Amino acid sequence: MARRGAPVDVVGVGRTFALGGGEVEALRGLDMHVPAGGFTALIGPSGCGKSTALRLVAGLDAPDEGTIDMDGASPDQMRRGQRIGVAFQDPSLLPWRTVSTNIRLALELVGRRHDTKAVSDLIELVGLQGFEKARPAQLSGGMRQRVAIARSLVTEPDLLLLDEPFGALDALTRQQLNDELQRIWTARGTTTILVTHSIPEAVYVADEVLVMSPRPGRVVAHHGIDFERPRTRELLLTDRFHAEVEAVSASLHRSEGQVVQLDTDPS
Amino acid sequence: MSDTAQATAKAPVRSGASGLDRVPPRVLSAAVGIAVLALWELLARTVYAGSYRLSPPTLVVVDFFEYRDLYLRNLWHSTKTAAWGFLWGNLAAIALAGVASIIPVLRRSIGAVALTIFCLPFIAVAPILRLITGPGNGTPITLSALAVFFTTYVAALLGFDTAPGSALDVVRSFGRGRLAAFRRVRLRASVPAMIAGLQIAAPAAFLGAVVGEFTGARSGLGILTVRALGALHTERIWVIALMSTIVATGGYMVIGALGRWLCPWAPALDVGAVPAARQEPGLLNRLAALLAPIIVVFVFWYAFLWVFQIKPFFAKTPLDVWAELFTNADAAETRSSVFGALGTTMWTTSLGYVAGLIGAVVTAVVFVLIPWLERALMPIAVALRSIPIIVTTPVIILFVGRGLLTTTAIVAVMSFFPTLVNCYAAMNRTPEGILDVLRSYDAGSAAHVRNAYLPTAVPALLASARIAVPTSLLGATVAEWLATGDGIGAVMVIAFTRNDYNVLWVSVAVLTLVAVIGYWLVAALELRTLERMAPGTSR
Ligand SMILES: Nc1ncnc2c1ncn2[C@@H]1O[C@H](COP(=O)(O)OP(=O)(O)O)[C@@H](O)[C@H]1O
Ligand SMILES: [Mg+2]
Repeated sequence: MARRGAPVDVVGVGRTFALGGGEVEALRGLDMHVPAGGFTALIGPSGCGKSTALRLVAGLDAPDEGTIDMDGASPDQMRRGQRIGVAFQDPSLLPWRTVSTNIRLALELVGRRHDTKAVSDLIELVGLQGFEKARPAQLSGGMRQRVAIARSLVTEPDLLLLDEPFGALDALTRQQLNDELQRIWTARGTTTILVTHSIPEAVYVADEVLVMSPRPGRVVAHHGIDFERPRTRELLLTDRFHAEVEAVSASLHRSEGQVVQLDTDPS
Repeated sequence: MSDTAQATAKAPVRSGASGLDRVPPRVLSAAVGIAVLALWELLARTVYAGSYRLSPPTLVVVDFFEYRDLYLRNLWHSTKTAAWGFLWGNLAAIALAGVASIIPVLRRSIGAVALTIFCLPFIAVAPILRLITGPGNGTPITLSALAVFFTTYVAALLGFDTAPGSALDVVRSFGRGRLAAFRRVRLRASVPAMIAGLQIAAPAAFLGAVVGEFTGARSGLGILTVRALGALHTERIWVIALMSTIVATGGYMVIGALGRWLCPWAPALDVGAVPAARQEPGLLNRLAALLAPIIVVFVFWYAFLWVFQIKPFFAKTPLDVWAELFTNADAAETRSSVFGALGTTMWTTSLGYVAGLIGAVVTAVVFVLIPWLERALMPIAVALRSIPIIVTTPVIILFVGRGLLTTTAIVAVMSFFPTLVNCYAAMNRTPEGILDVLRSYDAGSAAHVRNAYLPTAVPALLASARIAVPTSLLGATVAEWLATGDGIGAVMVIAFTRNDYNVLWVSVAVLTLVAVIGYWLVAALELRTLERMAPGTSR
């Protein structure tokens, strides 16, 4: 299994948004490390800054404090080098393009529009054979997410950033896509950061689960997940899987509890 | 690691912010306005010095104060006329929209009549109306009412249709019928859409009044303009155009403010951007959809002649029009003159429309890419969009001269502002997610425009184009009638002065038919495109 891609080092990152007249401090002192070819899941209460963190790593936004480094490159340099693939909760497909031309969009943007093999390979990898000519409107939610993931992978990025890509899907489709995501990651070995609000999902697919605190978000717990791969659905029924889920769940609860204390703290 | 790792470098989303981005939009707009005035004054005093084409703003102001009484008297007259037309036209439109909402089978037929009215070449309808209403104020009031009818009808019906289904179900669950549902739910739900409709009706009513006065009236800005145009009294034409602009735009803004005050929760709605209505499938349905409106329009035509008992010399039935075109002794001659002129009109109109469209799309793209420019100029474009450009036709006639280019220029100016505003609004609604995907590959401006902004704007462009077919033809015929001596507008004005009512009716009928067909062709294209792009899938 060829591990590839860039390691990600986030050190002391803070980001504050101006909102109306006031300010929203989304992140404060965020630290995280993802090794090259690693698969890290980011989990935390809603509104804690997960998407903000991912956008910072993607170079779509810049931190007010701290540094983000990927093997010597800044996120902006990575972005300009077209070495990043992103997929969000909203698949953000171009409704006027077909499945294959939506995937090809990424290739067009990096100047490889004629790489038809890459497109057909990915259509196969995400299991959309036969739907090449379909438009997004004709697809189910799960299929649209597959297209978005295929698009994020087709340029063979060094870093894959997924922001709740399966958040809007039903449990069954979600599990299926988790299996495929794992298979794809195993095949490609790209450094991957997955934001999710599902603890079982995080534990099932990732090498490491990072738990974030409520806003302003920072990492408050690390859980290394060392189940052997390939992981199968049988794993979901094992005690050790449940133990892991319970452990992450406890961290998340503890982190949510913290804020109540912070908020009632008069200082 | 290395110091290139500093992620504090500005990301693209927040970079490129020039200093101008921090200047308040009002200040920018005011600066642009003053610059335009200064340039205008300069041009008028240098390049156009001593020419009737352009007068300097200072002289326009002087002229206004010199003839203040005359101007204000006529302005008051036209405003009063427009107000009556506004009242009657909107009442009729809302009442008929109510009927269409309560009795759905009538919807298609009422819609066809409303569209036909919208497609009438008002300038040529005025002399025919004058046969009924006499030389007084009746014709301008009627035209003003006709000018607001279609858009208010569309807006009101849209409003009635937006009533929440659950609320309608509640009324029905109490065993009450459609009428109760209409009174208790639909009428209330329609207020925001209705106000949006009334907002654009204000300038439209003013336009109808002035166009009615163009062809003859005792007083009013329309007749004052025609006289000033004959005398090449440039300042007067500018004063009238500016006063019309202020009053029409003022009406638009007052109703808009009223709407924000009455229903602050409702999002702003643009009646010019309402998508075309979907057609039921099936051959029989299609046939009914085609035939029912045609029959209804003909019935209306006969009823109109019968109710007002117009003398046969003036009144022409559909059969008379047919005979004049195809069976009379001079049918071939009529055909060649009418269709030849129609060809000219359609050519100059299309040219003008396409020019305005291209200009608008390019400007919208520039605005999306350069935000400070948008903030400086867009408020001006939004204000100008509400101006009934047709009313300012004489200004353009003076500036461009009398020729084919005049028609093209007027249609181009007419199509530019609404298309720009709708197109920019649509581009601005490009989903953030799509933009993020493009940015994540460091896509350049061209790739953004090609892959996101332009395709997103296509439905809005088609919606504006549909409305623009009748309004562009109206603008073209007004220009031709008043000035150019070309095209079907000229054929109509000659027929009018020679009392040749056969040719006048034939021209009105043919022009209306062309506008209706054009409207439907664009609507069909729009539906196909919407189907393809399936709105809502990217959300
Ligand atoms: N562009 C922005 N402008 C203002 N506030 C923002 C912006 N983006 C995010 N926020 C705020 O930052 C906080 C964290 O948001 P986000 O990263 O989307 O949370 P999560 O993805 O964990 O649910 C929220 O309170 C959100 O309202
Ligand atoms: Mg989020």
